[in-house]
Amino acid sequence: MMLFLECSGRRLKLSDEGFLVHARDWDDDVARLLARTAEGLDELTDEHWTVIRCIRGHYLARRRAPQVRAVCQETQLSLKRIYELFPSGPAKGACKVAGLPRPDGCV
Amino acid sequence: MWCDSRNPFLDLAIPSEVGMIYLDNAATSFPKPQEVYEFIDAFYRKTGVNPGRSGFDLCLAAGSLVDGTRELLCAFFGGTDPNRAVFTANATDALNLAIFGLVGRGDHVVSTRLEHNSVVRPLWTLHEDAGVDVDWVGFDSRGYVDSQEVIGRLRPNTRAVLMNHASNVLGTVQDVAPVGRACRERGVHLVLDASQTAGVVPVKMDELGADVVCFTGHKGLMGPMGIGGMYVREGVEIHQTRAGGTGVRSAERRHLTEYPFRMEYGTPNLPGIAGLHAGLTWLNHVGVAAIHAHELALWRILREGLAAIPGVTVHGQESGQGEHIGVLSFNVDRFEAADVGTLLDVDWNIACRTGLHCAPLVHESLGTDRIHGTVRLSLGPFNSPEHVEKAVSAVAEIASMRRARRAS
Repeated sequence: MMLFLECSGRRLKLSDEGFLVHARDWDDDVARLLARTAEGLDELTDEHWTVIRCIRGHYLARRRAPQVRAVCQETQLSLKRIYELFPSGPAKGACKVAGLPRPDGCV
Repeated sequence: MWCDSRNPFLDLAIPSEVGMIYLDNAATSFPKPQEVYEFIDAFYRKTGVNPGRSGFDLCLAAGSLVDGTRELLCAFFGGTDPNRAVFTANATDALNLAIFGLVGRGDHVVSTRLEHNSVVRPLWTLHEDAGVDVDWVGFDSRGYVDSQEVIGRLRPNTRAVLMNHASNVLGTVQDVAPVGRACRERGVHLVLDASQTAGVVPVKMDELGADVVCFTGHKGLMGPMGIGGMYVREGVEIHQTRAGGTGVRSAERRHLTEYPFRMEYGTPNLPGIAGLHAGLTWLNHVGVAAIHAHELALWRILREGLAAIPGVTVHGQESGQGEHIGVLSFNVDRFEAADVGTLLDVDWNIACRTGLHCAPLVHESLGTDRIHGTVRLSLGPFNSPEHVEKAVSAVAEIASMRRARRAS
């Protein structure tokens, strides 16, 4: 069964695991909605956005998710802190909010 | 090198380039003894010619190393004929040769739910393609298979028993000898997967009653990847499922039937064999008993430390309940194993393995298949008490972090 996310009058396709099917559908409003519905985050702080923009930037440049270690180095956040920010972790949480497909292997 | 009872740990220099706490020795031992790296490099540079194929002196020297390694392996496994120590690419390769060469249509086989896919998948293939009937014997809550239950499953048409000497998930060493005795009495082949035990606990063919012992070179035997083998007891003739070059008697149309040629095909992995030779030599110097004592001492610290952390479940047996090796699996409450592994790697620089460990039946029995497996920590001779204490501390922090999240 295809899942959808309703955001600002748009109907966006989601995978079975709730990841955006089309990364191009993503914007800040979609991120906030995904954060609320998938991660239970009512508010995204500057730290959240730092992680999101880091992951999104890597993805747009290389068409794949960055390694976790690279995210920690670039954001200067420990992985423990990233788990605190995104309860489902960097792959299932942060990457989902950043509008990436479900990462395989890395992140 | 081997310390006394006041400090029952090996004191081996850890190469500075490792740069991390490596607790994934059940996947491959790392680092290797310095002697192994140096010997492979020197031997392959000076003697890297095809052994047993030509008659010039260097070729004979290469062949001499191959023969010498067979002798080391034969002694290591308590064998009687070095030619029955044959080289393969790894343990999976050896087990495939043994299983497909011994078991055929209409046969019955007994195996266990502790097996690695190197046994599970060949047997499943034979079950589906050739109607081979397989009995999978379970294990108890501590991770041990009841040898009497294995014996009880033997039938008149049982061709072989395939057993893991030690579980690569739980680290429990199985009581193989009674099974071996029963197999010998009934003419059933006992094929032992010694991937996790060779080089860690004694593996002696006759004491265990094994007809075939399959091993890999890159774990406890301290060699490089890409080399493994098996020792086949005299009187056991494995049917050939491959054929090819042997370097001798090339005019014969059929592949040679005498060992080691019977089970070897094409140019051997000479640098791998050189590394295995150096690894075995190192092991004989340090001593398997010393390594086992070292790993057990570390294992106890690890097991007790992890078991004391709220929210951590350690699987399998507790200290003193039975023989085991330095392998341990656990889960952190409400954490996926992969997440714990990633945290250990990135924040604490600790290498481990997470998931099903190529042993799906173990996880189905534990129920951990539903949560994507366990975190496995596995010790080696180059680990220290400090490594283990840091791992326990890291897991404690991860577990507390999860509790803080739940409370928030």
